[in-house]
Amino acid sequence: MQNDQALTIGTDILHQQGRMLDEQRWDDWLNLFTDECEYWVPAWTSETRLTQDPDSEVSLIYYDLRSRLADRVWRVGSGQSVANDPMPRTCHFVSNINVDECSDSLIKLFSCFRVDYHVNKKSDAFFGHYHHELTPAADGNGWQISKQKIIMMNDYIPTMMDFYLV
Amino acid sequence: MNSPTESPLIQRPEDLDKLLVDDVNNGQFKVHRDLYRDPALFELELKHVFESNWVFLAHETQIPEPHDYLNVHIARQPVLIMRDGDGNLGAFLNICPHKGALVCQNESGNKKFHVCPYHGWTFNSAGENKLIKDREQGQYTADFDSLSHGLTRLASLENYRGFLFGSLNPDVEPLRDYLDGIHHFLDMIIDQSPDGAEVIPGRSYYTFDANWKMQLENCVDAYHLTSTHPSFMTITASRASGGSEFRNIDIADFVNPDVPAGNYTFRNGHNAIWIDGNPEVKPLYAQYDELVERVGKIKADLMMKTVNFTVFPNLQFSVNACIQMRVMKPLEVDKTEMRSFCVGPKGEPKELRKQRIHQFEDFFNPTGLATPDDSKVYESVQYGLAAHSASASGLGHERGIRNVIQGPDDYAIELGLNPATSSSGGSELQDETVFHASYREIVERMKSGIAQELDHAK
Repeated sequence: MQNDQALTIGTDILHQQGRMLDEQRWDDWLNLFTDECEYWVPAWTSETRLTQDPDSEVSLIYYDLRSRLADRVWRVGSGQSVANDPMPRTCHFVSNINVDECSDSLIKLFSCFRVDYHVNKKSDAFFGHYHHELTPAADGNGWQISKQKIIMMNDYIPTMMDFYLV
Repeated sequence: MNSPTESPLIQRPEDLDKLLVDDVNNGQFKVHRDLYRDPALFELELKHVFESNWVFLAHETQIPEPHDYLNVHIARQPVLIMRDGDGNLGAFLNICPHKGALVCQNESGNKKFHVCPYHGWTFNSAGENKLIKDREQGQYTADFDSLSHGLTRLASLENYRGFLFGSLNPDVEPLRDYLDGIHHFLDMIIDQSPDGAEVIPGRSYYTFDANWKMQLENCVDAYHLTSTHPSFMTITASRASGGSEFRNIDIADFVNPDVPAGNYTFRNGHNAIWIDGNPEVKPLYAQYDELVERVGKIKADLMMKTVNFTVFPNLQFSVNACIQMRVMKPLEVDKTEMRSFCVGPKGEPKELRKQRIHQFEDFFNPTGLATPDDSKVYESVQYGLAAHSASASGLGHERGIRNVIQGPDDYAIELGLNPATSSSGGSELQDETVFHASYREIVERMKSGIAQELDHAK
C-alpha cells in the first residue's frame, strides 16, 4: 500500500462520511463502520489533558460496537427526542488529511474537522481533530472504519452535542 | 442611600409577596413567572441565595495532592481552591489584591506558586503573598507594609466528608447544621465504599439558555420522564430484550406504576425523591451483602433505590444505575452553566467501574441519550415564559398536593429522617410538591436580604 493510495482511500471515506451525515443518510453512514468499531469522543479533564482510558475515565461518547451507534441513529429519527426536533442543519468540513501509517490491512489517518450547524435561528460549530483507523471491509469491498477518535476542541457545549455534530 | 435592587418595583420585602401563592391546605402553590424571567429578581437570587450562604464548591478527590488547585465559582465570584504543601485545603478569591486580575488562569493543576500575570505578585499554595515585585523601590507607606497582601480567603469553608462547601458570608450556620436531613443522602453515596466516594476523571461542561431553576426542578421531577425521554426508554427496552452485555439504566426503574415511591423536603431548601427500582442493574448490587453488614439493611436498601436529591442551592445528584453529580451555576436570568461529573465508590472493581462509566455517559452526558432532551425542554419553557400574555403563574407545582404531609412518613422514620414534609405512594404519583421547599427558601432569603439592607441603610 502506497501512501498516496492510502490518502485517496482515506480522503474518500472521510468526505463520504461528512456528506452522509449532512444528508442524514444514516444507514449509509452506519455501513462505513465495522461491526466491532470503536467510536470515541474523549472528554477533557483540564485545558490540556484528555481522558486516556475510556474504561476508567468518563468520555463524552464511547461505544465499542456499531449497534450502539445504531441506537443513537434510531433515536434521532424516532420522533421521540425533542433534542432532535427540529434537526439542526449541518455542514461537515474535513481537511489536513495525513496518512500516519498504511499497509494492506490497516490505514491510520489524522485530519481536522469543523461542523457548522444551524437550529432554532442560531448558528454554532464544533471543531477538532479526527484520528481514524480503516480496515479492509468484511465483504472484501473497499475499506471500513474500525476506529474513530474525535477530539473536540470546543467542549463547553451549548445545550447539546450529538454524533451528527462532530 | 443604596437601593436593595435597581428595580423601582422591588424595594421592600413585601414587594416579593406576589412571587409565591403558598396555600397548600387549600390546594394551591403557585410560583410567579417573573421568578424565571425578571433580571432584577435574578440579581437578588445571586446576592441572597448564592452569595450569602453555603454553596457547593468541589469534592476533595478533585484536588488530592499537595499544591493541587481547582478553579470554581460562587455565583459570579471566581474561587481558587488549593491544597498547601501539607495538604491542607484553602479557598480564596482568585483575584489579585493589586489590580484584580485572575491570579490563576487555569481550570486545575498543581503549582507551589501562583504568579499574577500582570505585575508579578506571587502567592503560595496557602494563599500567602510571597513577592511584591520591586517592593523596596516602590516608595510604599508603612500602612502598605503592615498588610499581608495575601489572597482574600473565603469567609467560610467547610468539608462534609469530602464535599467542600464555601460561603462569602462569615455568619453562616455550621455546615453540618445547614445540611441537616439531606446529609443522610450524601452519606448514602459516601458510605457505598468504606473508603468513601470519588469523582471519576472526565467531566462535561455545558450551558442551556434558560433559568437555573429549570434544572433545580427537573432533577427531582419524576413526572417528565415518560414524556421527555421516550426515545431513551425505547432504546433501553430493546437493549434489555436483546441481551446486550451491559444493561443500561432502564427508564422502567423510574416509572413502573407498581413500585413504591416518595419524597422529602428539608429546611434550607433541600429535597430528595426515591423510587424502588431494579437493584440488579446497579454496579453496586454485587456488594449488597457486604453493604448490609457494614451499614445495615435499611441504609443498604436505600442505596439500591433510585434517589435524586438537591443540596440547595447548586448541587444535585441522580443516583440510579450510576451516580451523577451536577453543579449549577446561574449565568444570566435565562442562561445557566452546568458541570456534570460521574461519582463512584473508591476501590470499585475494574469491571464494575467500566459499567458505571458507560451507563453514565449514555444517560447523563450532554452528549448522551437523555440530557439533551432535558436541556432543550428547559429552553422551550423559558421561551414560553417570556409570553406575558399567559397567566402570571403556572400550574407546575400542585401535582400531589392532597398527598403531602408535614413531618416524617413511616419510611422517613425508618431511615431516621426528620423532613419538613413527606409525600409517598405509588410511583405514578410523580409528585410536584417536592419543589415547594426550594421556592420557599429562595423567596424567604430574598425577603430577609432586602430587609437587612433596608435596616443597614437606616
